[in-house]
Amino acid sequence: MPASFDKLAAKAEESVDVTLDSNMLQLAGRFLSGQDADQAKAKKIVAGLKGITVRSFTFKQEGEYNAADVDAFREQLKAPAWSRVVGVTEKNGEREEVYLKTSSGSQIGGIVIISAEPKELTIVNLSGDISVDDLGELGGQFGIPKVELPKSKGKEE
Amino acid sequence: MRARLLAVFLAAAILAVPGAAFGADRDFDRLVKAVETRFGTQPLHIPLMGLANFFVKVARPEGAGGFRLAVFEDLKFDADEDGAALDRMMASASEGLHPLVKVRSRRDHEWTYIYTGEMGKTARMLIATFERNEATVVEVQLSMDALVRALGDPAEAGKAFAR
Repeated sequence: MPASFDKLAAKAEESVDVTLDSNMLQLAGRFLSGQDADQAKAKKIVAGLKGITVRSFTFKQEGEYNAADVDAFREQLKAPAWSRVVGVTEKNGEREEVYLKTSSGSQIGGIVIISAEPKELTIVNLSGDISVDDLGELGGQFGIPKVELPKSKGKEE
Repeated sequence: MRARLLAVFLAAAILAVPGAAFGADRDFDRLVKAVETRFGTQPLHIPLMGLANFFVKVARPEGAGGFRLAVFEDLKFDADEDGAALDRMMASASEGLHPLVKVRSRRDHEWTYIYTGEMGKTARMLIATFERNEATVVEVQLSMDALVRALGDPAEAGKAFAR
């Protein structure tokens, strides 16, 4: 996560940082129940993850952060290492983007989610072996927001 | 004040846990010392701890074990001016711990840092909460089930401690 986010944190009314490293995830995975269907899915996904970082900012008023604040981070998510697979902009200004990192061949090395609302900005970085479909299973857990993904993944807007 | 009440409440409840583990004090002591040095104040003696048995009958946090608590008053913490310095202080004082959650709320004038220490059958969690005039440092030993539940929504867990 870029240092520029620290400046955003200084402007935000509330900011939340969540950091789960590989050790923590593997440990949590061991204690997730294999019997409970939801936990069993999460357990399987977590086994392939190396880390989860979530940075969330809530602002008092609209316009307290701007596109440039996010662009600096977006610059890091360029081809060929990264590809944007989801980009949804809603009429109310909400914007959700999902980027995939390919590590070797077709294997996915990580996912970044950028969820930007007029007064809220959330960045999620999942490193490790994970698919876009897994996002739906992890949403709402480990500090990862629930992301409404379009049914036809891979399409933009 | 809310954070302090919560901390005292938790401490009171946990005192009933038999065989509570109070090991691995160094990290807790280091955080407490850092707060003492930064704000030039000493932790309070907490006579309310004597009411533990009363609170124990009311609530007992599931999966919680050993517990240490330090409460500071009269801090004069200004988030706008002191926030960055507090981040630096906590980064230095928490060396060797795993940062798990950091919540900074200007709305509520509350800064919360949660770290985890060594883990095995239980996990050690250190929570430092700073409000305008008060600070609380808590070390709690959690069962792994309790830790996993906290990880389910770590940000909310952090906010809950800040309340």
